[in-house]
This record gives sequence, structure tokens and C-alpha cells, in this order.
Amino acid sequence: MNRKDIAINKLKSLGEMIIEDVQKMKVPAIKVPSRGTSNIVYDDVKRHYVLGDRYGKRSLGNVKQIKKIGQMIYMANFCKELVRSQKTATLRELYYVSEGWDVDFGDQQESNIVGEDLEVTLGMTREDLGLMPEEDGASVYGELTIQEGDLEINAMKAGKSGYTISPTIDEVEFVDHDVKRVIAVETMGMFHRMVQENAYKKFDTLIVGLKGQAARATRRFLKRVNEELNLPVYVCNDGDPWGFHIAMVIISGSAKLAHVNHELATPNAKFLGVTASDIINYDLPTDPLKDIDVLRLKELLKDPRYKDEFWKVEIKKMLKIGKKAEQQSFSKYGLEYVVDTYFPEKLEELEQ
Amino acid sequence: MERQASELFEEFKELTASEFFRRNKQMLGFSGKIRSLTMVFHELITNSFDAAEEAGILPEIKIDLKRLDKDHYILRHRDNGPGIPEDFITKVFCTMFAGSKFRNIQSRGQQGLGCSGCVLLSQMTTGKPARVTSGYKVNGEIKGVQMTFKMDVKKNQGLILDKKEIPLDSTGVCIELHFKDVSYSLSEQGAYEYIRRTMIANPHAKITFRDPTGHVYIFDRASEEIPPLPKEVLPHPRGVTADDLIFMAKHTDKRRFRSMLTSNLSRMSTKRVNEIEEITGIDLNKRPKDMKWEEAEQIVETFRKMDFMAPPTSGLIPIGQEQVEKGMIEILDPEFVAATTRKPVTYRGGVAFVIESGISYGGESGRLIGDQKKAEIMRFANRVPLTFDQGSCAITEGLKSIDWKRYGIRDLDNAPITVFVNIVSTNVPYLSTGKQSVAPEPEILHEVRQATMKVARKLQKYLRAKKAEKEEAMRSQIFETYVPIILKEAAALAETDVPEYEHVLAKVTRKPKILEELDDE
Repeated sequence: MNRKDIAINKLKSLGEMIIEDVQKMKVPAIKVPSRGTSNIVYDDVKRHYVLGDRYGKRSLGNVKQIKKIGQMIYMANFCKELVRSQKTATLRELYYVSEGWDVDFGDQQESNIVGEDLEVTLGMTREDLGLMPEEDGASVYGELTIQEGDLEINAMKAGKSGYTISPTIDEVEFVDHDVKRVIAVETMGMFHRMVQENAYKKFDTLIVGLKGQAARATRRFLKRVNEELNLPVYVCNDGDPWGFHIAMVIISGSAKLAHVNHELATPNAKFLGVTASDIINYDLPTDPLKDIDVLRLKELLKDPRYKDEFWKVEIKKMLKIGKKAEQQSFSKYGLEYVVDTYFPEKLEELEQ
Repeated sequence: MERQASELFEEFKELTASEFFRRNKQMLGFSGKIRSLTMVFHELITNSFDAAEEAGILPEIKIDLKRLDKDHYILRHRDNGPGIPEDFITKVFCTMFAGSKFRNIQSRGQQGLGCSGCVLLSQMTTGKPARVTSGYKVNGEIKGVQMTFKMDVKKNQGLILDKKEIPLDSTGVCIELHFKDVSYSLSEQGAYEYIRRTMIANPHAKITFRDPTGHVYIFDRASEEIPPLPKEVLPHPRGVTADDLIFMAKHTDKRRFRSMLTSNLSRMSTKRVNEIEEITGIDLNKRPKDMKWEEAEQIVETFRKMDFMAPPTSGLIPIGQEQVEKGMIEILDPEFVAATTRKPVTYRGGVAFVIESGISYGGESGRLIGDQKKAEIMRFANRVPLTFDQGSCAITEGLKSIDWKRYGIRDLDNAPITVFVNIVSTNVPYLSTGKQSVAPEPEILHEVRQATMKVARKLQKYLRAKKAEKEEAMRSQIFETYVPIILKEAAALAETDVPEYEHVLAKVTRKPKILEELDDE
């Protein structure tokens, strides 16, 4: 069964559950897994956050919950039609559509929350349900051919800025590739540097420009290339707590999306740099850590996702030197240095 | 030019009571146009009530107020009492300080001037005579007389202008008076409100009132019970003054002062009299008339220091919880009413009193000001409405000191409620000569609070139940709206038909419904 059929079946079953309850003269209720912080746990085996087994009940017999049930059912029906007709809608569009329903939402915040309820209840991402984020995903450059509907796209022939990952990434099929690895970088500045220095050729790699925190579609893309095409994924960010965490969300998922991390996290992905050791070893130009950086680093030390020895050492080292460095700081040694020297050395180290 | 004393004293005159009050009519309560008319209503109504009750008749009064001109009214007041014998008519209506109100008895009357004051006001403002028709029984037969008279102020007696016998088929008195310088008003102090409040405190009475616009208000009887007549009780030693003792001494038929004390005061035993004699050193065997003012003062002083039993309370006749509730229901048509009558207690250690309190909510309760309902406080003393000087009254003070929020009334001023408080006593401690506000004695304040708080608790219960009922209805409404919509949508989602859901709806709205399985049994 393809994703589309699974989604339609799951949505349908939500309605069937309610109708069956009524037929059995029971007051219908929907179990919605709790998304409270106490129900978000780190799964050591899966290496990402998952939801615990606590759930809340939305009963048709509860005056405060009945409207929520109504909203969920209406939204599920709307999503079923979306998936069936292979369309998508943004959350904003969904909110406007809901104005015509017999149960409506106070504001978009409320409809977004019900959307998440639907995701966790069915255990599907909202993209599977036809609901799309506003923002596009990252840029991809390199020898990858994909099929998007009737269109075949080669990521080498989509201009210097590459192929933009669409929010509907799950409808995209990987047709062919000629790479050995994937390198994702935090900034588009580094992305263009790598394109210009022919890094894709030198390392047989796809170059992915994350544009900051990775969008859901980008994370889904990285997971798929890692698992479907069996390509190792490396992430290179700024050498500061924020860069660390952008990598970590790709690797182990976020707490907020614990219910869909199994679709988004890429536990096999590896952090390439910039590490605190890199700052020392390459004698990079630095900025002193600000108070907020120090605070964030200390938070990361307590985060279960950072319990590996590697992370503990690097975080403590950065706290000790009290310095951070941007990925573009390698330019100190010339524009080519990062591609000619840094990446080969680091890749060799990681691929041993 | 120098004038001799003899010349000066030529102008010195002895004033009769009528003459005195002619010059000081405000002392009768006749100050201000609205208040003057209200006082006239008060005097005539209370006299009619007292007369009917003493005769064992359920009072019924018909009042007709016509307006001839700005400020000029004709008042016709007719009752169904025992009537007044011909010879007493001018005494009742023209002689000040006549009647039976100088006793230690719970009475409605406040001034003791009554009807004659009304005749005086009429005569002073219009110069017109009064006309009275009286039907009364003599040896079982009804006699009817009609007379027109004026008041001879200087002689404090009546001056009959015209008199004739007329056939009547029922007893009762009808008086017709002209007034100027008065004003009919619907305000809280006006005559209409006075009647309305009177009817709450006297549910056994009936009043039909035709106002100057011709509108007829019928205040029907809510109870067929004539209240028992109050009994005279002897004053308690703690409640008397030196002046009272001297007054008693002048009018007593006892030979000795000690026997006068034991027979004219309650709780006064021979043992107590001996104690007083010992403490004061006054010879109490002397004749009452020989008692000196200083000695009387000394004795009263001693009373204050001695312990006496609380005064007897047999003389107090409260309206009663049930009757107060009936009165409030009849006049205010409320959603909720509750009343209570406290047990008798004393203030100043010697004067017995009873507080009654009632609260009504919704309906005609409260006063409509603009389009906003405001709380209304109705004060009564011995069943008589107190409509003036609200601010300084113990009743108002007691009510305002209650934490109304505890009883579900967020803001007393803006709640649709009427609070009724009646103080019953042989001696209501008024604050001023107007006798419109009760002195804030600590015991009175306490009783007002306790009585009102007790009924307020019942109100709170009612309001809670009402709120719960409303929420229940809203709850049902929500289910009745959403359940069909949601199930229709769920059926569309499941791609099936909408199932029979009546039983589920009944379950969630908690409305009992006979299910089919039960029918099969």
C-alpha cells in the first residue's frame, strides 16, 4: 500500500471508530497521545525522541471536548479529500477553509494545534495528510535525478542554486544518482562556495544548503537519501551551540515533533564541524562566547541527545576556550581552503 | 421709648397644642411637599388599620386622590373599621393628643397626633373644612352620620358647620380633605411607594388606590389572618428616665412610692425595692407626689447598676416569617423569597425588640432606575414603612456591613433584590424627631445582620441552583447542536450512513430516555 492509501485508510478509520461506538450505544471518544513534556521521552534504541504511552481522551460526552472532536473530524474529512485528489493545502489555507464549517476555529493557532492532534492520533506527518508548511525546503546540488509528477529533474541542471526541496517531498521519487555521500551546510554562503569549488565532483557528494534550522521537508529528504539510497549524511555548521543544535535536530529530531520523529530523524547522520577541536586545530578566527551561548551550551550538556562522549568532549572544550567560530572563518586561509583542505581531512577522519 | 413689663406681657399668650403645631408643622413631619402628603397617607392608613384590628375586622381601605390644580389635591380616604360614634368625631379629628397612645405598647403610631394633624394641614393650606362620614353600630344597628367641620385651633377642638344623619349599610369612616402645598410623587419617598411598602408589612390588609391620573391600583390581601393585638407591658427599669418616674408618680393611684415602683415597672420585686432604698438612702415609703426630681434621677442611676431579668417579650407581635413572605410575594411577585423572624432580645439592657428580615429576588424586586435594576432596602418599624433619613438608620448600616459577595451578590447596589427589615418594639429608638431612622444600637445592628445573613444564605442557595440549572441547559444546548453535526461528518469520513444516535444524545445530555431494550422487557 502506498502512503496515499495508508493515509486515506487511517483517516477513514477515525470516522469508523466513532460510528461504531454509536452503533454499540457507546459515547464515542478519541484517544489523543499526550504531547506534554512529561510524555516526550528519548528512545535510546531509535536514537530520537518519541511520545510516551500517555494519552488524553476526547469524548463526545464532554462539553469541553466535543468541539475539539468536531474540529478533528472536519479536518480529517478535509484531509481525506486532499489526499484523494492529490492536492495539498497550507495550514493557513486550512484555517480559511474551516470558516465554512459548522465547527470553526477561534484562530489559526487553534487549528494548527488540532492539526497536530490529528498527526499524533493517526501517527502520520501532516505532509502525509496533505497539509504543507509555508516555507520551501533546502537547496540541493549534485548528481541526483528525481521524478516529481510528470517532471524529471536533475539537481545538477537546476541552476547554480540547485533544486529546491518541495514540501511534498514524499511524492518525489528518486530515479538515479551518482554520488557517494551527502554534505549539508548551514548557510547558503558555504553552499555556493562548495558549488564554485567543485566540491560535488571532488567528494562525489550532494550539497544541501539548509538555510538555518532544517525545514521538515529537508529533514525528510535527508532521511530518505540516507535510508533509501544508503548514502552517508554529514552536517557542517557554525561552531557554536546553535550550529550544534541544527545538526542534532537533523540527527535525533526535535522534542516538539516527537510524534513524527520516526519519519524525520536521521540517526545515522554525522556532525562534521565546526567543532571546538577544529577551532583549536585550525586556529580559526573566533568570537568570544556570549552569556546566552554559555547558557545554551550548558543546557545541551543536560540534553539526552548529547550524551555521546564526542559531544560531551566538544561542548566542554568550547566552554573551556570560551570561543566560537563561523564556518566561513576558514576563508582566513583563502577561499579554497575549506574545500581543498578542511573537508578532505574531516571526511577521512569520519569515514575511517 | 421704654416699655413696662406689664405691657410686654400683654402679648404673652398660652398656646394650645393645635396652635403650637400650626406654627411648627414640620414637627408633625409636614416638611416638604412630597413628605407632607406621605405623612397624611401614613396617619390615615395607620389609624384605619389600628381601628379595624382592634375591632377584629380585616382592614380594607379605599383611597382616591384627585388633583384640582397644581399643588391642590382632594383626598378621600374610606375604611371598613368599626366607625366613630358621632360625639367622638371632632375629638378624633380636631383635638391634638387625644386617644390611647400614651402607653408602653407596640404601636404603629409615631406621633400621637394622627388624624388631627392632617385636618390641621388641610385647613392651614386651603382654609376648607373637612367632611367625615361615619358608620358605626349601636345595639347591633348601623347608624350613619355625615358632618362638615373646621378645627378651632385656639381652643384645640372642632367647630361643626353641618351635620346630618344618613343611611349606611356598613361601618367605617370616610374622610375628605383638601390640601395645597403638597405633591404626589412616584419616588421612593412618595405616597404611592408608602402604600406599596405598607402592604408588604400588612399582608392582611387590602388597599384600593386611585391616583391623580385616574389609574386604579388594587393591592390585594395576601393573608386572611388578623394579627393579634399587642398587649401593654410594664416598662423595664432599664428603659425608664427620671422624667418617666415623675410622670408615673403624678398619675399613680398608689399610696407609697415603693408600691408604685413594683406595680408600674416590670421585673421589680420588693427585694429589689429594698436594695434601692439601701443604696440610695431615699425613704421609699413616702407618697409618690413627694418624690423630688433629684431623687428620681438617683433611682434611675441605681437601676443602671443593678441586674434585672430581661424584660417580658409577650407584648411584641412580629409579622411572622410566613406573613412577611406572603406580603413580599403579593407585592413583588419575585422568583425567590425568604424571610425570618428573630427571637426577642433587648437593647440598652431593658427594651425588648424583635428583628424580622426578608429578601426577594427577581420579579418586581429592586427599584428600576433608568433601565437598570437597583437593590431596594425597605425599612419598617412596627409594620410602618420608614421612607426618610435612610442613610443614618441602623437598618441601613447593618445591611451595608454585610459581606454580600459571600452570598452570591457581587454588588448589592446593582442587584435585583428587595431587602425587607422590620423592627418590632414597644419603644423603637428613633434618631430624630422625624422618627424615620432607627438609632444604631449595637444589639439592633447585630440582630439586623444575623437575621438578614440567615435569609441571604437561602438566597445564595437559590442563586447557585439557578446558575447550575442554566449551565445544565447550556450544556444540553451544546450537545444538541454538535452531536448531529459531528456524527454526520464522521459518517462522511467513514463513508457510511449516519447511524441512529438518539440514545447517545440522550446519554450525553443526561436526559433520561426510554431505550428500546427497556421497551422489550
